[in-house]
Amino acid sequence: MKARESYISLIFSYKASFTLIVFIALILVFSLLSPNHVFVKSDNLGALGKLIPDLGIISMGVGMLMIGGEFDLSVASIIPMSSFIFVKMLEWQFPMPLIPFITILVGIVMGYINGLLVTKVKIPSFIATLGTMMFWRGVLYAASRMMPIGIRAYLEPGTLFEKILVGTIKGGIPVQILWLIFFTLILGFLLHFHKFGNWVFVTGDNRIAARAMGINTDMVKIVCFMIVGFLCSFMSMMQALRIESFAATQGIGYELKAIASSVVGGTSLAGGIGSVPGILLGTLTIQILENGLILLGAPVFGINAFIGAGIIAFAVLNVYIEKWKTV
Amino acid sequence: MDNLNNNKPLVEMKDIHKWFGKVYALRGVDFHVNYNEIVGLVGDNGAGKSTLIKILSGFHTADRGEIYFEGKKVNIRTPKDAKNLGIETVYQEQALAPHVSIARNVFMGREPTKILGFLDRKKMEKDSLETIAKLGLKLRNPDTVVEALSGGQRQGVAIARVLYFKAKLVILDEPTIALSVKESQQVMEFIKQLKEEGISVIFITHNLYHAFQIAERFVVLSHGEKLTDVKREDTNIDDLSLLITSGKKVSEKMSE
Repeated sequence: MKARESYISLIFSYKASFTLIVFIALILVFSLLSPNHVFVKSDNLGALGKLIPDLGIISMGVGMLMIGGEFDLSVASIIPMSSFIFVKMLEWQFPMPLIPFITILVGIVMGYINGLLVTKVKIPSFIATLGTMMFWRGVLYAASRMMPIGIRAYLEPGTLFEKILVGTIKGGIPVQILWLIFFTLILGFLLHFHKFGNWVFVTGDNRIAARAMGINTDMVKIVCFMIVGFLCSFMSMMQALRIESFAATQGIGYELKAIASSVVGGTSLAGGIGSVPGILLGTLTIQILENGLILLGAPVFGINAFIGAGIIAFAVLNVYIEKWKTV
Repeated sequence: MDNLNNNKPLVEMKDIHKWFGKVYALRGVDFHVNYNEIVGLVGDNGAGKSTLIKILSGFHTADRGEIYFEGKKVNIRTPKDAKNLGIETVYQEQALAPHVSIARNVFMGREPTKILGFLDRKKMEKDSLETIAKLGLKLRNPDTVVEALSGGQRQGVAIARVLYFKAKLVILDEPTIALSVKESQQVMEFIKQLKEEGISVIFITHNLYHAFQIAERFVVLSHGEKLTDVKREDTNIDDLSLLITSGKKVSEKMSE
């Protein structure tokens, strides 16, 4: 009996518990109210299954970085930049097995540059990554002249590589979902069960203490930036294969959506607080909110207004919940 | 333990000088701590207490002077060097990550791991509570975040850390500054327990009443110089506080 009580209080002490309630409520509302219950029809679930991993994979990295006390706005440019390089390598007929590794290397290097700017040049990450976001986007627009590049001329459908990244498994479940689960587990174990995760938390929570205890906080932050870069490149390949093209508009808005997902999932903007399950939940909540509103007939082009209002409402409610919990 | 080597101090700092630009912060200070001894390091703001301690804990290096630890001359260039010798510093509120659990705080940066760097959580939870209990502090849940603890309990967690990692010398920088009377008493008890465990302590404070309860010897600094070095039985609070406020050399005052 006691154990059950403590389990319940544990769930409620968890910062993302409120998100879980909202998440379940949203699913119920959209399932019941969407015309013909399309929200839970397999077509829509399949679409969600392809869309959610895009943002989810990015949010994992961005959220972990936020726990470590830094922001990364440049994801909005790392994504299209590595997508561009990926598709260009297809066009140039690079040896296929090399292409994904080089693409991912590009993301890691871009993350490393962000990390150096923040830790060694000591520019606040918000400014540093705002700079790299604009810089890489400028380079990209100049290099691509903003023209999309279709991949089908260079990659016939149905290759093993494509199946691994964007295929479907039994019952039409998109492979992307498996990748999201994979990264969630890897980063979840890293953050919550590995010593590196402990370093991330204490670096974000009290950097002076972490350094006094011999933790190389610069290294911790740089590695987090590199993980973000890795995830951006990985996701950019998934996205390019899904839309069968490089598009210069890829990644736009992801920087803020990833932060929003993290915050909705209980990550602190000040660092030191957050969890991988929370970030996943935050992403699901935001994506489902967007999808559900469209199904309910909300104007598609104005959808950001609803999401923005939703995030603010969420933050306000969270403040009250926190107060209520501490009473 | 060779604490019997009582003639030689555990740590000895000789003729320590430190400049910060044009500021002459330490002007040839001699300072030592014996085995299993609690020393109160007192003085007004800007007296040089923190500078002296930061040299000992590796945050600053002295411009001149020598440090001997357990009889051997040592070079302390980084906090890590100090830690390797067994010198640990507990800073006011700076030692802990408030939103992280007790167990994770105790083992911050020195996490016990199983394979591939994965945390040995059982060991962290069990050992952190056991060590905290050694200080006479009862905490039940190692997953409690430090923010939820009282100020005294937090100091307990920070002190448990140095106890667990077998420090030989613990430097406590103003450990009672933000605490209530009751919590301060709790911290005094922790410090007594450190001595029970055979650890030497340097206790930096403004509060002579706190220092007088536990310190066996007092070193008073003023304007970068050592004013006096006196055993508790040879002094009293009034003399000490007069010394600190007047800032005069003891030789001028106590011309015996």
